[in-house]
Order: sequence, then C-alpha cells, then structure tokens
Amino acid sequence: MKNLHKLLIASTLSLTFLACDKTIDEPQRVGYTPASVDEKAGAWKTYVLTAPTDATLAAPSSTSSAEYTAELTDLKSRSANLSLDQQEAVVFWGAGAVYRWNEIARELAARYNVPPASNADGKYPVPDAANPTADPKFPFANPPYTARALAYLSVAQYDALVSAWSYKYKYKRVAPSKVDATVRVALPVSALPAYPSEDAVVAAASATILKAMFPGEVAFIDAKVAEHRNSRLWAGMNVESDLAAGVALGSQVGAKVMGRAKTDGMSAANNQTVTAGMIEAAKARGQTEVWTSQEIPVRPPMLPNYGAALNWNFDAATKVKLRPGVAPLPGSDQFNKELAELQSMQKNQTREQARIANYWSDGPGSYTPPGHWHRAAANTAHEAKFSEVRMARTLALLGTAVHDAGICCWETKFFYYTPRPQQYGIKTSIGLPNFPSYTSGHSTFSAAAATVLGYVFPDKADAFMAQAKEASESRVYGMIHFRSDCETGLVCGKNIASYAVARGQADGSGL
Amino acid sequence: MKKHALLAAFALLVAGPALAQMPQDAIYMPKKTICAALMLGKSDWNWYWENTLKRENYNLGRHTTQSASLMAAVGLTDRVNLIVNLPYVSTSTSAGNLMGQKGFQDLSGWLKINAVRYKGLSLHTIVGASIPVSDYVPSFLPMSIGMGAKTVSGRLLANYKHSPTGLYVTAHGTYTWRGKVKLDQDAYQFDGKIYNTNQVAVPNATDAAVRLGILKRTFQTEVFAERFSCVSGDNIRRNDMPFLTNNMQATTVGWYGKYQPHNVGFNARASYVTDGLNMGQSTSFMLGFLYQFNL
Repeated sequence: MKNLHKLLIASTLSLTFLACDKTIDEPQRVGYTPASVDEKAGAWKTYVLTAPTDATLAAPSSTSSAEYTAELTDLKSRSANLSLDQQEAVVFWGAGAVYRWNEIARELAARYNVPPASNADGKYPVPDAANPTADPKFPFANPPYTARALAYLSVAQYDALVSAWSYKYKYKRVAPSKVDATVRVALPVSALPAYPSEDAVVAAASATILKAMFPGEVAFIDAKVAEHRNSRLWAGMNVESDLAAGVALGSQVGAKVMGRAKTDGMSAANNQTVTAGMIEAAKARGQTEVWTSQEIPVRPPMLPNYGAALNWNFDAATKVKLRPGVAPLPGSDQFNKELAELQSMQKNQTREQARIANYWSDGPGSYTPPGHWHRAAANTAHEAKFSEVRMARTLALLGTAVHDAGICCWETKFFYYTPRPQQYGIKTSIGLPNFPSYTSGHSTFSAAAATVLGYVFPDKADAFMAQAKEASESRVYGMIHFRSDCETGLVCGKNIASYAVARGQADGSGL
Repeated sequence: MKKHALLAAFALLVAGPALAQMPQDAIYMPKKTICAALMLGKSDWNWYWENTLKRENYNLGRHTTQSASLMAAVGLTDRVNLIVNLPYVSTSTSAGNLMGQKGFQDLSGWLKINAVRYKGLSLHTIVGASIPVSDYVPSFLPMSIGMGAKTVSGRLLANYKHSPTGLYVTAHGTYTWRGKVKLDQDAYQFDGKIYNTNQVAVPNATDAAVRLGILKRTFQTEVFAERFSCVSGDNIRRNDMPFLTNNMQATTVGWYGKYQPHNVGFNARASYVTDGLNMGQSTSFMLGFLYQFNL
C-alpha cells in the first residue's frame, strides 16, 4: 500500500510536468541569401503593368554624393544598438517581404472568415465595405473572397518587383554595406542593387491591396508597414532613399493593380437576383432536384454570381469550355451509389477519414483552402531560397490559378445548382458550406494549386498532386460532397491551372 | 455553435461525478472498502454565451451530452482515498446537420487525503489527474466529447460538520493545469493570430464551490453553487464556432443527494448554469447506482 502511494504521487508529479508543458512548437522562418538574385527579372512579363516603366522612378543620388553620405551616417546610428524588439523585427521581416505579407494576408483572411449571423427578422445582413468593423464585419473572407484577395496581393507584389528589378539594374546603386564596410548588417547581403528597396516595394504594394480588401484593418496594416520599413534600417540593409523609392514604386503599382480589381466583376458577385434564373435554367436542363440552403433561417447562397467575374489566365469563352459535364442526376444509379457511400461513411467513418477531413477542412475562422495552398507555396519557395521576385512569381502563378479555379468552380456550381448530401439526410463531421455541391471547391482549388506547384517544383509534383487528391477526397470523408463532385473538381482544377502554367512558361523567366 | 462538450467535461471531471464519496466532499471510504458506481448523466442547452452575448443557434437547436460513467472510490486508509472515473460520452443536436460524436472520454483519478481533523472541522488536500483514453476529435466543438488535454488538479477542501444534526458546510477551491492538445489541422486561430502548428495550449482553469447539506448514516442531501473559470483564453468570435483556446466560465447551482442504507444505494444530481462565458447554459441531471464492498 505504501508503494502504491509512492507510485501515485510520482505519477501525479510526472503528469503535472506533462500537463504544464505548454510550449507551442511553431516553425520559425529566417532569412537567406537567395539561390539566384534573378538579375534579368526586370524583363519578365507582368500581369497588369504593360511595361515595368508604367510605374516611374527617378534616378537616385550617387553613392559618392553628400546626400548619400548623410544617409549612411544616419543608417549607421540607427543600426548600431538594437533593442530586443528591434532585433526580433529584423529577424521576422528578414525571412522575406513577400513571404511575410502573404502570411499577414492569410491571417487577415482567417480573422474575417466568419459568416454573418442572422438578425431578429431572420435575415442575414450583408457586410458593408463602408462600415467594415460593424457587425457583420466586412468582408466575409470566405474561400472565393480570399482566393481573389490573395491573387491581387500576389500579382501586385510580382508586378511591383518586376518593375523594381528593372530599376535596380537600370540605376545599379549597391547596398549600403558595399559602399561603406563599417555599416553593420544583420541579414545576408546579396549582389542585388538596393535602389529601390524590394522590401519597401513589397510593403507598399501589399498595403495598398490589403487596405482595399480589408478596410477595417488600415491601422493594423500601417503598423506592419512601419515596422517592416524600420526593420530595413535597423538591419543596415537600406538607406532612407532606397526605402522612399520603394514606397513610391510599390504604391503606384498597387494602385494600378487595384484598378483591375475595381472592374473585375466582384462587385456583382453577391447579386442574389440572378439565382431564380439559374435555378430555372438548371431545371430546364433536367436537374429536377436543386440545391437549397440547409441553414436555419435559410441563408442566401455564397456569392452566386462570382462565376461571372474576370479570369486571369483565359477569357470568358474559355471559361465556358472549361465547365465540366452534368453531375449524376438524383435518382440515377450513379447518384444512388454515391449517396450510399456517404450513408455508409456516416455509420462507419474511421478516425483516419475524420483526420483527413479535419486537416483539409479550412472552414470558418481559417485562411480557407486558397490560404492553405498559398502557405504551402510560400514555404516551399522559402525552402528553395527563392529571390523576392521569384517568390512573388510563384505566388502570382499560384494565386491567379487558384482565383481562376474559384471563378470556374462557382460558375459550374451555379450553372448546375446541384443538391448537397445533407438534402438526403447525411450529417457532416466538419460543417456544411452554403452553396451548391457540384463541383467541389476544395478539389478545384487544390488541383489548380498542385498543378502550378508541380510546374514550379517538378521534383515535388507528385507529392503536391497527392495532397490535392487527399484534399479532394477529404470532402467525401467529411460527408459534404458526393464523390463525383470531388473527382470532377480535380480534373477541372488541373485543366484550369494549365493556363497559368503556360503563362509561366512564356513569361520570359526561362523557368 | 457551441461548446457543450466543455460543460460535459466540466461536469464530469472538474466538478467530478457525484458519488458515495467524491472529489468534492469530506466523506471517506474506510480502509479496504470500495464503492463502485455506475452513473448516467444528461446535459442539455439551447442557449449559450458567444463571448458575452447570450444567444440561441437554430442550426443546433438543443444540444445534448449524454454520459455513462464507471467510478470507484477505494479506501486506501481511513484517511486516504483513491477515486477513479471513466466516462463514455455522446453528443447530439436537435437541429442542423452536425454529426454527433461518441466514445470513451478521459480517465480521471483523484487522491483525497484528510490532512487535518479538529472537532467538527476537517481540511483535505485532493490531487487529481486525467488523460484522454480514446483518440476523439477535440476541435469539433460543440460536438466533441472532450477537450483532449491531459490535466492535473490541486484542490483544497474545508468541511465543518455538526455531528448531532448532520448539518455540514463545505468549501473548496481548485487549480487545474491543462496541457497541450494536438489537432488534426496544422494551423488555427487564437486571439486574432494564426498559429502555424497543430499544437494548442488549452487554458488552465480554476473552480470553487460552496456546499450546504445534511449527512446522515443512510442519506445525504446538499445544495451547492460552483464557479468554473479559465484563467486565460480568447472569446468565441461573432457567429463562429467555439474552440479549445476559449476562456470558458460558468456559474452553476444545484442539488445533490444520496441514499445508501446498505451496500446498495443510489445518488442523484441536478444542476443549472446561471451565468457563463463561451459555454452553454446547461441543465444537467445525473443518476447513479452504488455498490459498496470490502476487499
């Protein structure tokens, strides 16, 4: 009995330590010298700019000028004695400008990814861009919204960096530490010319897009911009005029890219008046049982007219050609077979199936499937030590393909207007999205992303496609999609992304 | 959507199951005596607190947690008891399409020591620990059957009993350390920030209670008020699901009774949450069958 007591006390103590260990192991990213500085990137094909010189930038003062010497003196004093917070900011932003701004955008998307609550009248108020912090907050950063926000962010970063690269190699003003070896640098210095600062370019372009996409976060974004900018001084990487030039250039490009955003059809994406005609058309084509909202009170479908928006990598006629054929009709043998699969899963879902469904769920409160794939792309490009401009190119190819996938998928969903499994008594272990079933958004997003990433990282192509397949199948495991929704979505995603890949192969990068 | 699994976990683990003798009373099994119990519990709520907003959710309707627990209280000595408990839990809702979850939840153990006795007054130190015994999904709140965290608790309990009448008053306070949980997901949001990891730190918690009752040889009856409160955590976002990181709090009032004339007996508990944060306003009932035997 005494031994039992000792054993109990000992196991209680060891459990205390187990329970008390609350250290969260989160992977930390740090800076690197890029595998290549991509000095020819100033000639790469841009998305919105017709030429890198669409955004203008004056010549810098010479490194032998009195003006520059004064800037150097200022830089040396700012980078001399850093506080712990300043050191942390240097390390944080040193991981990469594009990398960090993509991460910030994903966090904003997650914060805003909650559907509006119904009000006392049983209606769902529509988020108001003019009053973004009221309830419901604007935007509801659902997967289509986030796909678009991240696409514009990545395109603005890419176009701005192509322009920056062209000016860098036009003016060829070297990094401060190469002018004066006594400048203390806290990060790796490459051969890349320093004017304009690529960090300031990315910060300004990103801030322009993100303030438009998340208008309630202007103060948060401004604080990030200021910290990013200061971190380049603290790190001894850029003088003030490098940074000022970067802000000027990045802001110009950001504004041009937002010019496209204002006319891409997104403002009509939530036009609910089109749904009656869509349902009628689907029924006329033989879809006897159509999608209805399963929420109480009935919630209007998510962005029914998003499918009419402008694509990045192909025109509207191609979009129609990319639309798949009809889904198995309710009552058909194939439909019954797929419904039976879900009925069986509801009774016998394995823990592994639940795990896969949960891993890929990326539902409310998350950065959505587009965010999931941006994260994968940014991490892989970081591990491959991509230059800022090549990182931006990767994310722009991915972002535009994923946005295209969203538009095409939504066009298909509202063209066929097919019912969800929940309309046949199936429950879900992950939560039910509020829009038609066919095709699966996860499947389309994921196959498009994996196709682009397989092109950029050929040695990882199979692994990415296996992930896309798992993401696709996760929607069957979560019991919110029929198998056809997922399998067809995968095929569509690959086809859609082939246009982004073709663009990448022809963008002058030689990659 | 809300979290009632939490309340279930709370009712079952923190407040502890009600037994012939339990982690929240001053009753001891004599040495080499065991009381085994099978307890059936049901807990429901329609209303919950989303942050401080008290609301319903038509897509959940009425949320129900049912449990069946096996418990044993063992008299190691007359002044040291060991209590172990294993609940099987299932969840369901009356509306919406979220799939209920079920399974064995967390095995808990309590070591209760009567440290001081002076006339009618007694002081007790109670240490407890719990560990999930099945691989249930902790992040599918409010349908999850538990929080998925290992816990360790330290409790101090004071009791005064007036022997001639059997009247007693009990007060206790507890601190519970709760460990890390591994999610199926590899990222989550906590307090507006994204954490790019599958590891979640579940907030630690405290509870405190006051109980007033009568304890006689064959029966016990008691009214109580309990307060459960996380020491940190974030709030449920507007119209979002609950999450493991939430700062959950609840004030509960209730009644507990036991009747055990001989080896066989039963106990019962009824409770109601009067106030809360990031939790459901549950009404809970428990009925237990007791069987006492000697080693």
